[in-house]
Formats: sequence, structure tokens, C-alpha cells
Amino acid sequence: MASDQELIIQFQESINREANFTALLKKHQQKVYYQIKRMVTDHADADDIAQLVWIKIWDKLDGFKMESEFSTWLFRIAYNETLNYLQKQRKQGASNSSSDLLDYENATASSDSPKSTEIQIGLERAISQLPEKQKVVFMLRYFDGFDYEKIASIVGTTIGGAKANYHQAVKKVEHFITQL
Amino acid sequence: MEKDMAFNNQDKIGNSLEQDRAWAESLLNKQSLSQLNASNTEVPIDYFESFPDKLMSSIEEQKREKLEKKKAKIFFLPSFIKPMNRWAVAAAFIILVGGSFIFLNSSVSKKTGASMLANNINIQDISIEEIETYVEANEWIAEIDVQAQIQKENAKLSSLDEKQIEEIQKIINQ
Repeated sequence: MASDQELIIQFQESINREANFTALLKKHQQKVYYQIKRMVTDHADADDIAQLVWIKIWDKLDGFKMESEFSTWLFRIAYNETLNYLQKQRKQGASNSSSDLLDYENATASSDSPKSTEIQIGLERAISQLPEKQKVVFMLRYFDGFDYEKIASIVGTTIGGAKANYHQAVKKVEHFITQL
Repeated sequence: MEKDMAFNNQDKIGNSLEQDRAWAESLLNKQSLSQLNASNTEVPIDYFESFPDKLMSSIEEQKREKLEKKKAKIFFLPSFIKPMNRWAVAAAFIILVGGSFIFLNSSVSKKTGASMLANNINIQDISIEEIETYVEANEWIAEIDVQAQIQKENAKLSSLDEKQIEEIQKIINQ
């Protein structure tokens, strides 16, 4: 299987652009989608944002200089696009903190996941109420196992800042759960 | 107790992934965390299989839209020029009206000057013989004018009284 770098070089040299792009897409689409879905919870929203992200990648890939890892650049774009999407939603008044929560609960309740316990509901609610940056840092560290350097590049902070965000996120969620 | 230990170990954050996970699991609930991950990674059947085709058709559509926009630009001026266009049209109109006014005036004056010049040349070009012939032919008109002038002067003299006539004679004699 070709590396990201090989696929990108061939894409930039206009050799089978679509085939090389599709190969990149297939390699990374799941992780990008999961990162987005953890932030918005709704599948339709996550699908819309994922499309926006990949269209942006298609448009900008010619100018990608490989100064950082492709996946770091990709996740950073996904993070920023998701933030933009959420901000637009808030501006339009389509969602506020309470409706976010309602959407979140509906999304999880309607899924075929194992029956949620009280603790799990509490955990989900607590995570949904975290600031976006803390939420993403926690998810990328705990679930995806990314190192702090990569997380810091994705969310646009320092390594120390990323560590602090992880710590704050866990402590806030714990505090929320103990108050139930 | 377990939580307190974890809390005391918070300085170890960032040492390793395993430590970070263990610390989070000790404070939160490991099973709930894994269930949360399961719910977040659920997608409709064949979603990832169909996504690349859907995306590529979106990209194709976007390309077409961009091409159409480029074509449209050939026929229509960019929007930022449009406000300037109004001024350009206004300026062109003023120049046209002002220019035609100046042009027409100058051509009229040129014509007048030209006709005057033409008249001068005509008078100069007329020979003395022709002038004498003209005067002879029109002498009787000049005679009438002279007679009319004399009669006018006589009328003036007849209206003078004796004192005025004497004063005039004195002036003539001096």
C-alpha cells in the first residue's frame, strides 16, 4: 500500500489524481468521520461536514508542502470545519446548549448501542457540555491514542496546553458525574 | 480511595498513553467510556463504502459550477466594476454632450470667419472700373441722399432766430 506521501506526490504531479485522492480518502475517512461525529453527534451533520472537509482537501492538496504529517493537516481541517459548522448553527439559532443536549440524547437513544446506564448517560451529557477544544483533546487522546504533539497541532495549541486540556476535561466530567 | 490516588497522580499526565487512559478510567467509568465510543462510531450500513463515490460526484459538481462561473465572467463584468461603470457612463455622456457643444460652436465661428474673409477678398478683388460703374449706376440714389441731407440742414437754419444767425456769422468771419 502506497504511503500518504507517495499518493500526494502523484496527485500533485497530476498522475491519476482521482485514484490517488480516493486512496487517501479510503485510508483516513473513518477516523475523520469519527472525530467529527464526536463533536456534533448527529450522523447527517457529521456526513455534511465530512464532505466539506474532503472537498477542501481536494482543493488544497496541490498546495500541501508536507511540512507536517498529512493526517495532522487533515484532522486540523476537520476540527476547524466542525467548529465553523457549530458556530454557524449557533448563530442561526438552530441549536443552543439545551437543544444540543436533546439532540445528543435522541441520537444516542435512537441508536442500537447497548442500553445506556445512568452513569453512561451522565458521562455522555458531561462530555457534550465540555468546551469544544477540551472535548476534542480528550477524544483524540483517549479514544484515538494520538500523542500530545499531534493533538496540539490539530487544535492549535501547545503540547502543555493539550495536556492541560486533557486533564481539565477528565476532571470536569468526573465532577459532573459525582454530582448526579 | 482509588480516585484519590488517581487525583494524586495527575502530575503524571502526558507521561504515556496508557497512564493517561488509566487515570481517566479510574475517575470515570471504563465501561461507559467504551460504550460511548461504540455509539460514536456507529454509522449507517455501507456508509464508508458509498462515501468516496458520493464525494467524487460532489467534487465533479463543484468543478462544473466553477467552470460555469468562469464562463459567466466572460459575459458579465465583475461586480466590483459595476459601481464604477455608472460613473464611466456618466463621464462619457458629459464628454459627449460637452464635446459636441464645443465642436458645433467652433464650426459656426469658423464658418462666420470664413465668410467674412471671403467678403474681404471679394471687395479687394473688385476692380476700380467695376466700382465706378456701380457708383454711376447708383448715383441717383446717392443724389437723393445728399438732397435729403441739405433739406434737413436748411430746415435747421430756418428755425434759427436772428441772434443765433449773427453769432454764427461772427464765428465764420473770425
